Amino acid sequence: MDITVYLKESFMGSMSSVLTMAIIIIPLMVVMEILKDAKVLEKLSLRLTPMASFLDISKESIFPLIIGIVFGLSYGAGIIIDSTEDGNLSKKDLYIIVIFLLACHAIFEDTFIFAAVGAKLWLVLGVRLIVAIIISYIASKLIDAKKLSKEY
Amino acid sequence: MIILYKESAIRGFGKGIKTLWALTKIVVPVYFIVTFLGYTPVLDKISNLFEPMMNILGLPGEASLPLVLGNAINLYAGVGAMATMTLTVKQATILAIILSFSHSLLLESAVANKAGVNLGLVVFIRIGLALLSGIFFNMIL
Repeated sequence: MDITVYLKESFMGSMSSVLTMAIIIIPLMVVMEILKDAKVLEKLSLRLTPMASFLDISKESIFPLIIGIVFGLSYGAGIIIDSTEDGNLSKKDLYIIVIFLLACHAIFEDTFIFAAVGAKLWLVLGVRLIVAIIISYIASKLIDAKKLSKEY
Repeated sequence: MIILYKESAIRGFGKGIKTLWALTKIVVPVYFIVTFLGYTPVLDKISNLFEPMMNILGLPGEASLPLVLGNAINLYAGVGAMATMTLTVKQATILAIILSFSHSLLLESAVANKAGVNLGLVVFIRIGLALLSGIFFNMIL
């Protein structure tokens, strides 16, 4: 193999990937930081409280859930742990939040990076969100069933 | 909005650079290594070995590499390996969906476990979702 061809191919290829990602990631981070400071997610969470009854979790769960969906597990986990320590979340709330976030977290960051290597952005984003809603809905029913069977 | 939130925008820019650097540190070495493997028989061997399994997901055998790297290391490593390959939009989308359900298994599952959810269940759900969605989208896309 020709070492200069290899080095050139690897260098050019990886740099062009990194550049594509830069074009996507930097504006995204700017927008997300503004959203965070504008407290948009707090407002959005208020509007999404009907989701809480659908998933049969407390209204207080919605905010940590939305934070995890948008900003990812590590940032989301901090908020979840805070809320748990404040005593706002039940064991079931916690389970549902974690199951939802396993399927779907840092939704914009990860999906946009995939778009940089050729994936269809909205499809990936939509699939993650819909699948997360379905499995946490199923989990919510199952956890209830468990609780009921314990009572008998 | 940008003017109103100038400080946030600057902080966001900084975070963007930070994320990009974290990404670059992984994507570039992975790109160099996978391209190198492409010059050796190793990539073909791995590719042939996984070809039948990957076909169920609608992916070429070589796509096993981003799957393994994405799960064992993290998403960025998977993306770095993906970047070296010429994939169709369908293949890239299926791979992205699979990897977005199941990645960084070691680290992220540990986080979920810390939050009190059973580790085995976590890994089972993630890999299960990844495989099912791969098979499903191979059929409908």
